[in-house]
Amino acid sequence: MKNNFLVLYILLVAAQMLICNYLHLTPYLMLTLLPTLVLCLPTKVKTAAALLIAFATGLSVDLIAEGALGINTVALLPVALLRRSICDFIFGEELVVRGEDFSIRKYGLPKVLFALFLVLSLFLVIYLWADGAATRPWLFNLIRFAVSLAAGMLLGVAVVDMLMPDDRR
Amino acid sequence: MRKPGKIITILFNAAIFIILEVAALGMLRSGKAQDFFITKGAHAFMAKVWGGSESVKYYFSLKQANEQLAAQNFALTQELLAWRHDAEEAKRDSLTRSFEDIGGFHYMSATIVKISRNKQHNYLIIGQGSEDGVVPHSGIITNDGVVGIVDAVGKHYSYALSFMNTDFSLSARLGREGAVGPLVWDGKTSGGAILKEIPLQYKFAPGDTVYTSGFSSIFPADIPIGLTGESRIVNGATYDINVRLLQDVGAVRYVTLVNNVGRQEIETLEEEEVQP
Repeated sequence: MKNNFLVLYILLVAAQMLICNYLHLTPYLMLTLLPTLVLCLPTKVKTAAALLIAFATGLSVDLIAEGALGINTVALLPVALLRRSICDFIFGEELVVRGEDFSIRKYGLPKVLFALFLVLSLFLVIYLWADGAATRPWLFNLIRFAVSLAAGMLLGVAVVDMLMPDDRR
Repeated sequence: MRKPGKIITILFNAAIFIILEVAALGMLRSGKAQDFFITKGAHAFMAKVWGGSESVKYYFSLKQANEQLAAQNFALTQELLAWRHDAEEAKRDSLTRSFEDIGGFHYMSATIVKISRNKQHNYLIIGQGSEDGVVPHSGIITNDGVVGIVDAVGKHYSYALSFMNTDFSLSARLGREGAVGPLVWDGKTSGGAILKEIPLQYKFAPGDTVYTSGFSSIFPADIPIGLTGESRIVNGATYDINVRLLQDVGAVRYVTLVNNVGRQEIETLEEEEVQP
């Protein structure tokens, strides 16, 4: 893992903590960078290591920024487990075989958006379930999911652009 | 056919995933059990981290805070005058009691230094801790309602569960002598709640006041909480009634902590009843 990536990763996790604590816009919006961060882990990071990184990332955000301990961790682990499969499915198996990383410039915005859609959907479904979805009307959960997904994808594009080295101008 | 090495890798990854996911789910479940030591530790840590960071923010909102204090001061002065009038009339009664210890409850003022609003599990950080006399399981109230419950106490800050939390349920009464049911946050706005499980035989009208029932060992009875709104029948058996809270829980700054002096005794009795 490159040092630049590591520094940016830690800074973005810190940004997520600040978002959790200070960005209170509406109960329908759950703004998260975490699934995008896990998706952007270099492909040479194996699944087992990605799981441990996701666990540490989720737990640190839960510990410092969330009201419910474990909520981000529970939702982030499946993203780490399926990260390589998602990359294989969208960007092709050569990406992992060659040990390259995806980027918007190399694979185009639609493919990156599709990858973000998958990881964010997976994360949000689990997060919203753990965040008391059963006690809320389905319409509220649906709107919350849709708004959070849309915002997460927009933010995710910016994060991918920032984290993937090939895209640096 | 997959190579044996690949299958072992898949099994290894699956095992790590299951172990970590079970650990995370365990933490999540323990988070709902507020007495679990990890939860308490995490909450005390959060109180310490975020409690101090709010001072700069509040420096810039001093004007608004002053106006609020002035209004509160006026209301308290009016109340004090009324109390003095009553006290004059009751002078011959030698019984005296301090404001701080009424009806088996101990009261102290406190300041909220941080509020989370946009989650389903919201919390509060209070700018007072164990050194100021705050104890866990104290209720947090204002003149206009219930705000939360203190969960973990640090030296200088305390972590509290907000009313705006899906795990928070409060025993509330419809009117002064009406039906009692659990009052929970509606999950959408900081001023909305739902009074549940009200039997159909109880009559009420939109605008009726909802009070604390006093059936919990945390909050005293008869604190006005909100006004009833629309209602709906659930499973043909009970009403769920929308309640508009008198206190906007997402905007409160100055609160009163209330601690039931006899709570420990009540809890001991309850435990003895459960384990005879």
